[in-house]
Amino acid sequence: MKVQIEGLSVGYEKQTIVREMSLQIAEGKITTIIGANGCGKSTLLKAITRVIPYQGGNVIIDGKSIAKMNTKALAKKLAILPQNPESAQGLLVQELVSYGRFPYQKGLGSLSKKDKEMIEWALEVTRLTEFCDEPVDSLSGGQRQRVWIAMALAQGTEMIFLDEPTTYLDMAHQLEVLELLERLNKDEGRTIVMVLHDVNQASRFSHEIIALTKGQLAGHGTPEQIMTPALLRKVFNIDAVIGNDPRTKKPICITYDLIKGEERDEEMADDFARTLVGSM
Amino acid sequence: MSHEKLRTSRKWLFLSMGIYLVLFVVGLSFGASTLSIDRLIPVLFGQGTFKEEFILFSIRLPRILILTLAGAALAMAGAVLQSVTRNDLADPGIIGINSGAGVGITVFYLFAGSKIQHFNYVLPVIAFIGGLLTAICIYFFSFEKGKGIQPVKLVLIGVGFASALSGLMILMISSAERQDVAFISQWLAGSVWGTDWPFIVALFPWLMICIPIIYFKANVLNLLTLSEPTAIGLGVNINKERSILLVVAVALAAAAVSVTGRIGFIGLMGPHFAKRLVGPKHQSFLVITPFIGAILLVLADILAQIIFSSAAVPTGIVVAIIGAPYFLYLLRK
Repeated sequence: MKVQIEGLSVGYEKQTIVREMSLQIAEGKITTIIGANGCGKSTLLKAITRVIPYQGGNVIIDGKSIAKMNTKALAKKLAILPQNPESAQGLLVQELVSYGRFPYQKGLGSLSKKDKEMIEWALEVTRLTEFCDEPVDSLSGGQRQRVWIAMALAQGTEMIFLDEPTTYLDMAHQLEVLELLERLNKDEGRTIVMVLHDVNQASRFSHEIIALTKGQLAGHGTPEQIMTPALLRKVFNIDAVIGNDPRTKKPICITYDLIKGEERDEEMADDFARTLVGSM
Repeated sequence: MSHEKLRTSRKWLFLSMGIYLVLFVVGLSFGASTLSIDRLIPVLFGQGTFKEEFILFSIRLPRILILTLAGAALAMAGAVLQSVTRNDLADPGIIGINSGAGVGITVFYLFAGSKIQHFNYVLPVIAFIGGLLTAICIYFFSFEKGKGIQPVKLVLIGVGFASALSGLMILMISSAERQDVAFISQWLAGSVWGTDWPFIVALFPWLMICIPIIYFKANVLNLLTLSEPTAIGLGVNINKERSILLVVAVALAAAAVSVTGRIGFIGLMGPHFAKRLVGPKHQSFLVITPFIGAILLVLADILAQIIFSSAAVPTGIVVAIIGAPYFLYLLRK
């Protein structure tokens, strides 16, 4: 399944967030989108997955523009895990996971044999089988995130898009989620596209990284191509020291400093002030 | 669904049906003039006196049936509204749909006057138009581009609309004749007035059309309660489904209040109790929701007659006396 993005522009009202972006998402690979706050990573992910409409250009999946595709048909091709989905109060784990079968159901929504098999499999892969009769609210943050991933898996799509799947999780649980995604990619050949904040995690788990700055492509390539001081400077405005992970041999950012004395400082202060106002 | 859960669902379904039947019998024998329970069956089979038959077939039975249909309709409307707006406080009364229906009725009443009794089929339609216009306004004002419906905003705007429209009704009738004022104020207080067979015939089709649609959309409703991106990702055509469900909910609520007067809180409490008993999955709780709605309204009507027998307190007031504290409790939670 091929995803081709051509001259894509996305925005709200008059403000354009993603500007004329063109790229291709590698099939059967893990691709991670990185970038500073407000650079348009989430917006890009939402536009590719038709959660928000786009103003210009096109997102083409299997030769067809997603704007023209039936939303239910598209749900059989790609699954989304949004940023911190709200937990559904009182729902049991297996009930929530079963919602992933919606694109295949008709009418009153009784589960077919195939539906049940997929739900069982999704629970097994995410190691949730023993929790299947527990309410989702009663689980820990890491387990809950796995339930949402299980729901996306039950959807049985070739592609899975995740918006910051590790946010609010502790270090161990973050790794657990990322390793699960890695396994899905290796064993099942799923294409995975996610937004991450941690560049080292992006480097360790991705085949390709898409780096954005101010709504435009700053770089797209292997971790080795992206994890360079020059590119990180451009994307995050940091002065990074890049080394190699002694275990995985992937490039990592060992330490970094803010770049001082440039006009960007002022801009960042403005940004900061805006976030403050926005959060009030 | 696990077997255990299926069993609880069935248990509560039978239990709520049982409670409803008990209330049905009690309701038939309670009232200004008594018709003792042991006389019910003989009268039903034509063995009663003229007076007994008149009380049963022309007063009690139609009244209880109207209350049943209205209670079921309001509870289902509330359930749909709560899921579509992702707000547990949504209720056709609280967010102003009932008042919108009321404005429609008032306008119509000012033209039709005391002949309104003969327009039993038209009334639900008029109420539906009033309710739908209100719902569209509320939807429009609580919609933010790119974000969709804002649940909290929706309730605030709805409450505003509810009081504004009630005010409008009072304004409209202030210049009317005294007996017209009496009708409208009774309507506002939720005094069940359309208690005759023609009204049952007028109300029934609305339920027969709308409630099956809701059951058919149980799966969609499940997903609409999740976050918007999640629902879209699973392939729900959000705008289309929301519009359909909103229209169905408005139709149910408006049709119900067109004959019962403005009754609130049933749409709030009915689905809440149902969810608490069998869980939030629509396939489970929507089955018992109409029964609970009917139970609440019939019970309120019986209480109105027992406690306030001398004063003839409107049923809507009794519902509000029970419902308002529950609303406050939910607000605090």
